[in-house]
Amino acid sequence: MDGWTGQFLRVDLTSRTHRVETFTEEFAYRWIGGRGFAVKILYDELPPRIDPLGPENKLIVAVGPISGIPAPNTGKTVVAAKSPLTGGYGDGNLGTRVTDQLRKAGYDAIIIEGRAAQPTILSIDDDTVEFLPADEIWGTGTMATNEWIWARYGKGAGVLTIGQAGENMVHYATVRSLEGRSGGRPGMGAVMGSKLLKAIVVRGSKPIPQAFPAKMKELGRDDLREVHRIDKELAWSVQGTTGVLPWCNEVAALPVHNFRGTHHPDAWQVDGERVNLARAALYGCPNCTMRCGIAVLDDEGRESEVDYEPVGLLGPNLDLFNLPEVASLNFLCDDYGLDTICAGGVLGFYADAIERGATQGDIRFGEVDGFKRLLGLIARREGIGDLLANGTRAAARAFGHGSEDYAMQVKGMEISAYNCKFIPGMALAFGVSPIGAHHKESWIITYEVNQTPRESYGRDKAQKIVDLQRIRGGLFESIITCRFPWVELGWGVEHYPVYFNTITGKDWTLEDFWPISDRIYAVMKLFWLREFPDTDRYADYPPAAWFDPANADTEGIIAGKHLEYDKYDSLLQHYYDIRGYDRRGIPTRTTLEQLGLGAEAAAAEAWATLT
Amino acid sequence: MRITVKLVGGFVQTMGFSQKELDVAPGSTVGDVLALLAIDPARPKIVALNGQAVAEAEEVHEGDRVLVSHVFSGG
Repeated sequence: MDGWTGQFLRVDLTSRTHRVETFTEEFAYRWIGGRGFAVKILYDELPPRIDPLGPENKLIVAVGPISGIPAPNTGKTVVAAKSPLTGGYGDGNLGTRVTDQLRKAGYDAIIIEGRAAQPTILSIDDDTVEFLPADEIWGTGTMATNEWIWARYGKGAGVLTIGQAGENMVHYATVRSLEGRSGGRPGMGAVMGSKLLKAIVVRGSKPIPQAFPAKMKELGRDDLREVHRIDKELAWSVQGTTGVLPWCNEVAALPVHNFRGTHHPDAWQVDGERVNLARAALYGCPNCTMRCGIAVLDDEGRESEVDYEPVGLLGPNLDLFNLPEVASLNFLCDDYGLDTICAGGVLGFYADAIERGATQGDIRFGEVDGFKRLLGLIARREGIGDLLANGTRAAARAFGHGSEDYAMQVKGMEISAYNCKFIPGMALAFGVSPIGAHHKESWIITYEVNQTPRESYGRDKAQKIVDLQRIRGGLFESIITCRFPWVELGWGVEHYPVYFNTITGKDWTLEDFWPISDRIYAVMKLFWLREFPDTDRYADYPPAAWFDPANADTEGIIAGKHLEYDKYDSLLQHYYDIRGYDRRGIPTRTTLEQLGLGAEAAAAEAWATLT
Repeated sequence: MRITVKLVGGFVQTMGFSQKELDVAPGSTVGDVLALLAIDPARPKIVALNGQAVAEAEEVHEGDRVLVSHVFSGG
């Protein structure tokens, strides 16, 4: 089957067995790969309302049809499972050598089931699957774990690891790879840890099935060079994603002091210019010629690879404006295997809750040592860290005193580093993200701030979110590619069907992908409905703080401004109408049938009502 | 009259400065400022005047702050 190996590797850690399963061409073209494969498998195979940290949960490692092919930004892999952080569908992607090695080993996905009896390394070497002891590295951070594995398997091996946070099932532990790659914000690392799976090592030697390999090789080589040339011309990767920070500060969208502020005069001290000037090393994903993983030295002299999100949330959001200090928190998150966005949100919320008297503690905004210590407590689940390891939503429920209003999360997952007190479209993008508040699905903020009246709640914003979800959350997450070339370099999205067609031998256009994107989104919704049959539209609301007049900026360009409930609700309804969802935000029976999801709809009706 | 120009992202590298004050003629527009800086009109960009999105025809005034940013899709 050109474009796919046509095989899944199903691994049972409990019985230490494995088997190779085949899938049909129809399945491949219906779900494409990556997120599409993952959500379909999880929806079909997981019983409702299982413990996400129990052996019944399954961890999916999936690639797509263009994965691993030398072409622009094809080095990413999706990891997915039922999320311990949100209770719903969870996934994420990360750059890793697993991408090409898994395909060369002959698989498009690994389905990992059960729970190992002791800490384990899953080793896949073409057809040989082994369960190796991980006692020597259990309890170590991701950096040391990675080095330990590289020393034994070589740097060419594909490696996924967890740190102490994953081992201790911190609900926002991620899966890590290479020097600084991280994915699976909604606790995919915790699911791996719950299975006592410390690392996955993949090596392959087989050719990747392609319709036109010579043509693809030439096309991929030329395009990798062209992307590199454009990046040099525009100098995007000089600052990488950290270049976003001064823009957010300028337009009042930066998270400051647990999202209470939107800008700060000292923000320049941690912006992209300062990151570039402090540059100590540069890392990136496989098959990337616009590498953005800029490492700086932290306050203890360690390399720390920083991006905008961790800088925003571990910096200004905590009132920290010293780059080496911010980098030290980022390093600790990376080494423990904590998601930096969630961690920044949790630390900020905790400091805020103390400041407001909702709880007691000695953590203060602006004091880095306390935050460093707290990250260790969270990763080890010690003391207050045990509660904070479950995320802001859980902590707010425990603290009470109105603290849920300023727990900056949606569906249990912490909000990325864009303060949307007066950016309704981006607030909606967080609200309707299918994994909880994440910016990767539809980053509407630049469109909204620059091309629309900011105060508008118009249907155009809802339409733009759907358009972006189709590209970013559907197309890119299923064929699997990075979103950066498209916008940052203007690398047209029309390139991706060309890669897809050259690999599969098809003649698809972009329009062929949109129904598949919509299908994937619909099944993600059904997954949530199964877990929460009483769900309603309020699950798609952002935190109350953004609607609170008392929380509005007191100075600056959005002084006195805040979101409005009735207008947000009408914007949300626009989104539902465009998507063909009912007033609860659930796809209607008609929508599901139009997407070819009749069987999935029938299954859903066993536990919930469709309209 | 004097305004401040702030560059963001790759513009800092390609233009060779991060922020500077600029003397412009009264009645100048944002587009005039971009032309004065010799910023490639074809290059995708985000422009803000005092933190607010504006069209390039918008007039600038004494003390204004013009931000020219690379286009981003997230961090």
